Amino acid sequence: MIELSTEAWAVMAEHAQNCYPNECCGILIGSEVEGKRLATLAVACRNAYQGEQKDRFELDPRDQIAAERKSRELSLGVLGFFHSHPDEGAYFSQTDLKNHWPFYSNVVMSVRALVVSDAKCFRVDVDQTASEEEELIWPKS
Amino acid sequence: MAKILIPTPLRQFTGGADTIEASGATVGELLAALTTNHPDIKKNLFNDEGKLRSFVNIYVNDEDIRYLSKEATEVAAGDTVSIIPSIAGGR
Repeated sequence: MIELSTEAWAVMAEHAQNCYPNECCGILIGSEVEGKRLATLAVACRNAYQGEQKDRFELDPRDQIAAERKSRELSLGVLGFFHSHPDEGAYFSQTDLKNHWPFYSNVVMSVRALVVSDAKCFRVDVDQTASEEEELIWPKS
Repeated sequence: MAKILIPTPLRQFTGGADTIEASGATVGELLAALTTNHPDIKKNLFNDEGKLRSFVNIYVNDEDIRYLSKEATEVAAGDTVSIIPSIAGGR
């Protein structure tokens, strides 16, 4: 399971609203103790996808390098990623499945009419052939 | 020696280490040293043909090796090599 701090969630929700009607993306930083993950920080990133961004996103590796550096400075780790689905549900699509790594917690936010209405978290199996919902605790849950 | 930064999913193959120091004149030599000492990491970085997987990005300091000399990119002592998961998605 993964819990999002109030501060992390505030960054995620604001980023999703600022990017609407395009997809936003970002990185979750925190720690894991006995299988429970706590994301204390969320880093809003650029959507580097070259094309229509209302239904696609791509993380900019330079943002990932900066986030990795920051997490190490804080003795934390990159736990996963987040992105938004404007005017769609919080589900993990086939495109998401094929383009995410195992281990990471991947939070998907549903944004409808500028309101973040739902959020779910998913993990990908080692073969990237299936995803499983991970328990998510967020301020609205 | 150069530093290789290991992303969290791959640390299970390096005994939990988040950084590995290795010797080599190029990115290819460094990654070869890494996979020799930590063989289980190899299938996560390279395909069956021995080529870097498309969803693995390698940076030397802040530069993407795809825009340098790929695996022949030279590495100097003190350089930092980052293994960056390619993350994307959409509906």
